Amino acid sequence: MQGRVLMGAVALAVAFAIDDGAAFDATKYPDWKGQWLRAGSGQGAPWDPAKPWGPGQQAPLTPDYQAIFEANLRDQAAGGQGTDPSYRCIPVAMPRVMIAVQPMEIVITPDTTYVMLELFSTLRRIFTDGRQWPKDVEPSFAGYSIGRWEDTDGDGRYDTLVAETRRIKGPHSYDSSGIPFHDDGGAIIRERISSDKANPNILHNEITSIDSALTRPWTVKRSYRRDGNNQRPIWSEYVCTEDNRHVRIGSENYVVSGDGLLMPVRKGQPPPDLRHFEQAQR
Amino acid sequence: MPKRSSISLFTLIGVLCASLTGARALDETKYPDWKGQWVRADGAEGAPWDTRKPWGLGQQPPLTPEYQALFEANLKQLGAGMKASDPTTRCIPAAMPRVMMAIHPMEIVIMPDTTYIMIETFSTLRRIFTDGRAWPKEREPSYGGFSIGQWEDTDRDGRFDTLAIETRWIKGPHSYDGSIPLHKDEQAVIKERISSDKSDPRLLHNEITTIDNALTRPWTVTRSYRRDASVRPVWSERICSEDGQAIRIGNEDYALGSDGLLMPVRKGQPPPDLRYFNQNQMRN
Repeated sequence: MQGRVLMGAVALAVAFAIDDGAAFDATKYPDWKGQWLRAGSGQGAPWDPAKPWGPGQQAPLTPDYQAIFEANLRDQAAGGQGTDPSYRCIPVAMPRVMIAVQPMEIVITPDTTYVMLELFSTLRRIFTDGRQWPKDVEPSFAGYSIGRWEDTDGDGRYDTLVAETRRIKGPHSYDSSGIPFHDDGGAIIRERISSDKANPNILHNEITSIDSALTRPWTVKRSYRRDGNNQRPIWSEYVCTEDNRHVRIGSENYVVSGDGLLMPVRKGQPPPDLRHFEQAQR
Repeated sequence: MPKRSSISLFTLIGVLCASLTGARALDETKYPDWKGQWVRADGAEGAPWDTRKPWGLGQQPPLTPEYQALFEANLKQLGAGMKASDPTTRCIPAAMPRVMMAIHPMEIVIMPDTTYIMIETFSTLRRIFTDGRAWPKEREPSYGGFSIGQWEDTDRDGRFDTLAIETRWIKGPHSYDGSIPLHKDEQAVIKERISSDKSDPRLLHNEITTIDNALTRPWTVTRSYRRDASVRPVWSERICSEDGQAIRIGNEDYALGSDGLLMPVRKGQPPPDLRYFNQNQMRN
């Protein structure tokens, strides 16, 4: 009798297993629900949070790109925008968007992990379905990402998402100081996103950039904090074009003043050429 | 010994069951399979809001006289080649409900508490909260709006087939299709019923009802979306600001010519006021 009960129980368990075959077992994945935001420094934050902004980052740039970086810093000091295209509402791209100066949400499904960043409404799809790299993919600011889950402590639950991102569209820089990527579009970004061992409301992201503008791979560690008490966080929209005061005409940048008129951004900047206007030609 | 074996076996079964029926698990068999890439089933880019009727006046939107006049003025502008009345030409998101035309692909990700609709057009992300929450007292308006939804099993087969959504706090200016305006008071309420086609799993229908102070009655249209058969569809980014062709200075729109110079967008348009530039450097 006891044997028959046991057999029945085992059959029930197996039936559960079969019936639930299509279900997404959330218990296998880390709980990264909620709203995440950069831990530490605020907007304008340096790429490596352990070092000062700008030259203090000591980016391992090749001489060519070090020269581009320094020229960019001089341009910024003179009121220009340097190599940073985000003032024109061009998305900050990977990997800079992972500074997470605006909140982000991470949605995990078996085949894809979605990283939804408010900044420039960036949507990253990290494919975890075992696919190979496609032969050809149109470059994008978010790039094309393939990932895999790791259970580093062997407790039966994944704790680390390892992602590699290629085909990132330029121009892009690491942070607002304009540390540039190579213009060959060949950058590869490797990430290890993992839960903090002691605090479930902290995520760590070890980000390694491999790029022809660097003399060696450059690794930085960034962290994100979750408001664990807020189960229903408020999400906002970031629409850069809505109130962008910067105007680019040809190769020159201008700003629109509070009274709606075009203004120079540097001393002695020439006005735009208006030859296509009838009134200007009179 | 047999007793110890029994205990171990029951423990094993318990662990098995616990891991398989975790309360936090998403039971996909309860929800429709809306995975993949969806795109509008009918109408090309620039298609009208109501796909069964012609574009423009043929849409017969039930507008109040004031908004009918605005609509007709928009049509005149568009007829003259001016697109100023359509904010998307300035890279302002198409907003709800227009973005649900899905002129570019969209993905629907269903989770127990939220259904995410990710639309390539203007990188729009809609969160449809299905966690049973009540309407908040106040929300900052946004182009995607604030949406609460509930799943329905209309044919009672044990699997949800319809997502009923209500969206409020939609930021203006917005229009149905670039010409028909919604009221500028930002009080529009959009009700949607997204459901699987009864016979074709590659087809979704969305019955969209707009309740707005610019209308004399609620306006319902049905739009449909077709799923790309590809298991691994290609997703793109559409960055409106990338080409930098649309330029707005104050209240005036201009264009950028292929030669990189500023151009008027209408005949006789005055050039921008350059009083803040050093007059000695004026080229013209």
